[in-house]
Amino acid sequence: MTERTGLEWMREHKGPLAGYRVLDFGWVLAGAIPGMVLADMGAEVIKVETRERLDYMRLGRPIIGTEMDPEQHPMFHNVNRGKLSVTLNTNEPEAVGLARRLAAHCDVALENFSPGVMERLGLGYEALKAVKEDIIMVSISSHGQSGPLRDLRAYAPSIGAMSGLDSTLGYEGERPLGLKHAYADITGALHAVFAAVSALYQRRRTGRGQYVDVSMLRATAATMGAGLMEYEATGRVMAPMGNYDPTMAPYGNYPCMGDDRWVSIAVGSDEEWRGLVEATGQPEWAGEDRFASRYQRHRNRGELDERLSEWTGSRDAWAITELLQSHGVAAMPVMDAEERLHDRHNLERGLYREIEHPALGMEPIFNLMWNLSATPAAIRGHAPLLGQHNRQVLCDMLGLSVVELADLEERRVVY
Amino acid sequence: MAYGLLEGVRVLELGGFISAPYCGKLLADMGAEVVKIEPPVTGESSRGYGPFLNDDPHRERSGLFLYLNATKRGLTLDVGTPTGMGMLAELAARSDALVHNLHPTEMERVGLSYESVSRGNAGLVMASITPFGLTGPYRDYKAYDINLAAAGGICQGLGEAGRAPLTFGAPQVGYFAGMAAASSIVMALLARETLVAAGEPGGQHIDIAEVETMSGVYNGPEALMAVYQWRYTRRTGHHALDFPYPNCILRCKDGYIFVGSPETRQWRTLLELMGNPDWARDARFTNRTVMNNEYADEIDGYMEEWLMEHTKAELLAMAMERRIPLGPVRGFDEVRNDPGLADWFEEISRADTGALSFPGVPYALAEAEVRDAAPAPYLGQHNEEVYTGELGFSHEQLVALHQTGII
Repeated sequence: MTERTGLEWMREHKGPLAGYRVLDFGWVLAGAIPGMVLADMGAEVIKVETRERLDYMRLGRPIIGTEMDPEQHPMFHNVNRGKLSVTLNTNEPEAVGLARRLAAHCDVALENFSPGVMERLGLGYEALKAVKEDIIMVSISSHGQSGPLRDLRAYAPSIGAMSGLDSTLGYEGERPLGLKHAYADITGALHAVFAAVSALYQRRRTGRGQYVDVSMLRATAATMGAGLMEYEATGRVMAPMGNYDPTMAPYGNYPCMGDDRWVSIAVGSDEEWRGLVEATGQPEWAGEDRFASRYQRHRNRGELDERLSEWTGSRDAWAITELLQSHGVAAMPVMDAEERLHDRHNLERGLYREIEHPALGMEPIFNLMWNLSATPAAIRGHAPLLGQHNRQVLCDMLGLSVVELADLEERRVVY
Repeated sequence: MAYGLLEGVRVLELGGFISAPYCGKLLADMGAEVVKIEPPVTGESSRGYGPFLNDDPHRERSGLFLYLNATKRGLTLDVGTPTGMGMLAELAARSDALVHNLHPTEMERVGLSYESVSRGNAGLVMASITPFGLTGPYRDYKAYDINLAAAGGICQGLGEAGRAPLTFGAPQVGYFAGMAAASSIVMALLARETLVAAGEPGGQHIDIAEVETMSGVYNGPEALMAVYQWRYTRRTGHHALDFPYPNCILRCKDGYIFVGSPETRQWRTLLELMGNPDWARDARFTNRTVMNNEYADEIDGYMEEWLMEHTKAELLAMAMERRIPLGPVRGFDEVRNDPGLADWFEEISRADTGALSFPGVPYALAEAEVRDAAPAPYLGQHNEEVYTGELGFSHEQLVALHQTGII
C-alpha cells in the first residue's frame, strides 16, 4: 500500500482497497466494470474520458426529453458509480502529458481500447512505467494484444459466438440463439479484476509492477470447461439441447399458472426424486417403471417433463417453489427484472440500493454483493457527470491553477 | 501455465463441482499453494459428472475435474465427524485462506463456521460460496445451475416467446462465483496487514451468493428494464428488441455466424459487401431499430441469401479486412483447433490419462515467471505428505484415520 493511505483511509472508507488509486481509461461495459469493482472496494478511481469521443455507454436514448444527453444513461450510472471523472482530449499532446502526470499518482491503470491505441497515444505500459516504475497496467481486449485476431472488431456477442458459448444455447436440434447478456464482457472484466488485485499483492511483497493482457475470448473459453473437455475427452461436439443436464432429470423450466410464468426444477439424487414424488402427491405416473431409477428418468426425460408440466401448469410458480423446497427439491421461479428488483430475499440482502443522480433522481443501482465482513464493499457515490472532477483532480492532485485549468478547457485540451 | 504472483499464499479448498474449485484454480494458477479437501471414497461431485475420458465413467477420468483441479494437492477428509472437523481447523491454522461451497444446512450439520475454523488463526480469510448467501429468506433453499440461472435472470430472456425459457448449455454460474470469491480473497489478504496494524484480528468472512453473481454484476443493471420499461431481455428468439439491426445469429454456408453492426459505418460496409442490394433501399428500412423490431424476420431472409454463399472462414476474413464485427458460431472442436489459441491450450500429462489439453489462463503477465501446471490430484494423493509430513500424524494414526473412514 502506498504511503498516503493506510489506516485513516480504511477507517473512513472501509473497503479492502482503501488508499489505492486507479487511472481508469476503461469504457463501455467490459472496460467500466473493473474500475467499478475497485471503486466499490474502496479504491479512488479516476475515469478519464472525453467529449471528443464519448463513452458509448453515455449515448443512447434520453430518459427525459428528446435531446441527446450524456448524463442520462442509467446503464452508465450503474457501472461507473463511485468514480471521479476527468475529461482529457488525448488527441492533444498536452492532454496526454496530463494523463501521464496522473499516472504518476496511481497504482493501477485500466484500459480496453483496441490493441495498439494506448501505445499510439503515448500511454502504453512502457510510457506509464517511465513515470511510475511500479505501476500495474491492465489491458482488456477481445482477442488479446497479439495473435492473428488481434485487430478483429468484436463485441461481447461476437466473442460469445467464437468462444463456443453460443453453440450450445438453443432448443434441442434447433438453431443456436445467442445470449441477451454480455457474457464475454463480464468474464473479461472479472478476470481482469482478479489479475489486478493479484498484481497488487505481489507488488506489496516485491515492489514490482506488472502488465496484464486479458483476452475476452480466452476469459470466456476458460469458463467453457464442460464443452471443451467433452471434446477433448470424447471427441464429441456439444450442440443445443434445450434445458439439459447429463446427470439430472427432471431438469428444466416448467409452465405455471399465469401469463408467461415458469418454474425451474432440477432433481439429482434419488432422495430428491422421492421428495418430488411426495410433494406432487404420489401421482400414479411417478411409480411407473420407466421413472424408477435415475438412469430410467434421464432416458425417459421427455415423457417425465410432460407429466411434470401437467402438474405445474395449474399451480403458482412461488407456491411450487416453496412446496418443493420444503421437500428438499431444488426449484426457483424464472424471474424477470421487475421481480428480482422487488424480491423479498434480494431486498433483505440489499441487492439494489437507491442512489440519487443529479440528472435522473433516485435510481436503483445494483450492489456488488461480494460481502467482506471486516472491509465491506459499498457504492461510494453516484456516477460522475462528464468532467465533474476536473478541478479536484487536476488542480488539487496535479497542482494546476484555476487559471491554467480554464485555459486548458478553453483550448479543448481538458474537454 | 501458472504465475507466481500469489507465491507463498496457502489456500484450503473444501467443496466440489465448479464454484469453489474454479476459485481454487484461479488462485493456484497465480502461484498460491492450494490444498483441496474431498470426501473420502467418492471424492467431490465433479468426479462423477464427467465428461469422462473415452467415456470411461471412472472418478479419476472426469474431464471437468481434471481441468478445474490441476496444480492442486489433494486430501480426503470427512469433515462431518468431530475428528475431521478438528483436522480441518488444524489445516486452517496453517493457511491464509479457506474457500468452501458447503450449503448452509450442511455447514450447520458439520459445524463449519468462521469461528470454528479461525480459532487458531485470527488472520484467516474464509470465503463461503452458497446458492443464495448466508442470510435472507432463501438461505436454505437448494439450487442447481438452472435454478440459479432462472432466479438470476438468465432464463427469462433466452428462448422464444411462448416456449420454455432456456438456460446455459452447460453449468456456468459457478465460474462467476469462483471469480468473485478469488478476487475477494486476494483483496481481504491485501487488507489484512492494515487491519492487524489497527488492532483488528485481520481475518474475515466473505459471503458469496451464486445467484447474486448473476443477478448482481452479470445483469444487475437490468433493474432499469423494469423502471424504464426497456424490452431487450424479452424472449424473442435470436433477435433482441430495441437494438439496431443486425444484432443476431444468422445462417451461413457452413453453419451460423453472429452479425452485428452497432456503428453506421459498419452497416454501410456490410451492405457494400453484399453489393448494395435493392431491398436495402426499401422505404420501410431507414431506421435500423425499426428494422430490428418490425421486420427482422423478413430482413434475415435477405441477409441469409448472401451469407449462405460464404463460409464462416470467408466471412471472418471479410470482417478482419473491413473492420466489421462478425463472429462465427464455433463448436468446441473449432475453438480447440483455432490456430490463434494453439499455444493457449495447455498440455498436462498424468500417468493414467496420458497427455490432455486444457484451457489455459485468460491473461498473460509481462513481468512474471511462467511455470508449468501440475496434473490434478488422485483422490487422497497427498494425504501422507500433508497429514504426516506437515501436521505430524504418525503412520499408525494415518492408518487408523483411514480405517475409520475419516480420510
